[in-house]
Amino acid sequence: MGRYIAKRIGMSVVTLFVLICLTFAMMHAIPGGPFTSDRNVTEAVQQALNEKYHLNDPVIVQFGNYIKDLLHGDLGMSYQYQGKSVNDFIVDGFPVSGKLGLVTTIFVLLASIPMGIVAALKNGRWQDMLVMVIATLGVTIPSFVIATMLMYLFSYKLGWLPTFGISSWKSFILPMVAMGGYSLAFLARLMRSSLLEVMGQDYIRTARSKGISEFKTITRHALRNALIPVITVLGPTIANLVTGSFVIESIFAMPGLGVHYVTSINNRDYSTIMGVTIFYATFLIAIVFIVDLFYCLIDPRIRYE
Amino acid sequence: MNNIPLEKSRLVSEPADPWGVYTEASANREKIWSKNRTFLGDVWFRFRTKPTAILGLILVLLVVLFSLAGPSFVTHTYKEQNLKYANIPPSLRTVEKDGRYFYISPALQVVEVSAKGELLGALSKKSADNANKRTTFDAGDGQLVTVDYSSKPYTLLNDEGNRIESFHGLHNRTYLLGSDALGRDMLARLMYGARISLIVAVIAALTNLVIGVLYGSISAYAGGMVDSVMMRIVDIINTLPLTLYVILLSMVIEGKGMLSITVALGTVYWVNMARVVRGEILSLKERDFVLAARTIGSSTGTILIRHLIPNAMGPILVTLTMLIPSAVFMEAFLSFIGLGLAAPLASLGTMCSDALATLRTAPYQLFEPALVICILMFGFNFVGDGLRDALDPKLKK
Repeated sequence: MGRYIAKRIGMSVVTLFVLICLTFAMMHAIPGGPFTSDRNVTEAVQQALNEKYHLNDPVIVQFGNYIKDLLHGDLGMSYQYQGKSVNDFIVDGFPVSGKLGLVTTIFVLLASIPMGIVAALKNGRWQDMLVMVIATLGVTIPSFVIATMLMYLFSYKLGWLPTFGISSWKSFILPMVAMGGYSLAFLARLMRSSLLEVMGQDYIRTARSKGISEFKTITRHALRNALIPVITVLGPTIANLVTGSFVIESIFAMPGLGVHYVTSINNRDYSTIMGVTIFYATFLIAIVFIVDLFYCLIDPRIRYE
Repeated sequence: MNNIPLEKSRLVSEPADPWGVYTEASANREKIWSKNRTFLGDVWFRFRTKPTAILGLILVLLVVLFSLAGPSFVTHTYKEQNLKYANIPPSLRTVEKDGRYFYISPALQVVEVSAKGELLGALSKKSADNANKRTTFDAGDGQLVTVDYSSKPYTLLNDEGNRIESFHGLHNRTYLLGSDALGRDMLARLMYGARISLIVAVIAALTNLVIGVLYGSISAYAGGMVDSVMMRIVDIINTLPLTLYVILLSMVIEGKGMLSITVALGTVYWVNMARVVRGEILSLKERDFVLAARTIGSSTGTILIRHLIPNAMGPILVTLTMLIPSAVFMEAFLSFIGLGLAAPLASLGTMCSDALATLRTAPYQLFEPALVICILMFGFNFVGDGLRDALDPKLKK
């Protein structure tokens, strides 16, 4: 177990480093500097700006400085908003995004696993068909389409739920459903197929032949094994839910990190893009790592791989 | 033993004397009587037994036909603007006055419509009475019509100054699916947008295919150190948040044309393909035909391209059909957040994104491209599922 954890930590650090290098390289490969915009800035002012942000140094030196700052937890200053650092954006925005991601994760888990179980146990009957139809819809309809349709229906037409902002708990309902749609469908399908497979195994027949009640057979023997593939994909799913909210946030005008990200893309605010990308990626890698550790604890077979 | 008479009747004609000598039997005995199916024929045979797969194929073909052949049947082009006719929906609620039909838009513009539903022209504003919420328009020939917008629905006033409360539903014949915020034909734009989305998705998927297949096969065939280094790289790429990288890449590559988005999508999603190909080739390369090819002196390249990759075609094809819908999806996503194509180019994603601004007054502008995206996604997903079952029954879940 110790070796496995060490290996995984090593892997994560390497991945993170590659990621920082890639992001840095890409941001420097973009033609034109951050101050060559259409605003009329004189040559001297531009020089001064470049000097202030150390943009005249060799790239290697800039990279070294950036890494040094990163190790101190400093993601740099925004090029577009005077006096705002990237850390400020994250501190402002991430609580909202994180809350939305957390709520969505809980919603997805609470909805998809029971749906998959019902579909598998009622295999071939209307309950199964219903779940499969929902699952197919969820996988095929893009989240921004679900979001706008829901918004049109529940906010404009029926007026039940707010269209934007985070005024109350109601504001989270539509973004949650829209964002979780894909993961919900995917997990429900996975749960269904894995439970169907487990129900055909010999040990289920053994359990039944011993006279254990059907409820106990399913909860004690079938579900425990059927949940393993679901837990496998849980890491990336949670990470995507927490970090993948930029479109949903901008549709529902929630003041989260995703909105800052999209705005900074449109403003070509390179340091913010770079900082938020690295932050998102670190978060994602960390979540995948934690879920994998958890997974090892549940299923001892993984450890000895 | 029961099936012998049946076999006999198929093989040879019954001789007159049942105890006599068969005459033509020796010639036909070795012949294989079942139809000889090719690989593709076999796949098609299994594919067509699945109704959802056939439905998917039909949906995809319909969209392809719609986007390629469609533009020759519509009179408008995708970039032709007509600001007079902005935001006109596909079905019009018109008010009749003196045998003429008028459509009042949510932005309080009045368009005259023929009885068949063709748009005849927008009326120009004559005078406005803001206190009573009335606007008077010039209907030509010295006639005036007055719009009353004091209560919904907006309507015209008759000669006595009362609201006309009866409405006529007409279908818009000039713009069959309505017009967008700049007065462009939605139908023509949908055709064009679907075409661009498909082209971007197919090129991106093919690029991923080439990179993935080459990477995976080289890694598997070389083996040893090369393999482990190449696979470590794949592991690292796999943990990177790819959506973020597509976003960064499409910013790095200059221009807002099709090129940047295609390259961004085409160079990022090959990891899965590389893994699938590597897995296949690892088992294939131990087979005897590879040994045979090597003994007759074939070069590594020939063995890879002529022997190994064709044998791994099944899983490659399945992965490819799954790549196309995800490319459609990502393209729409990128265009939606403003990183896709710039006007007047249109893709399904940019159309959805443009429609957001007028969602409240003209929801059809969002629903139409969204529907086409959904049809495409459905189609490709069903075809992919069907192909997976048809190409490799073992993979079936």
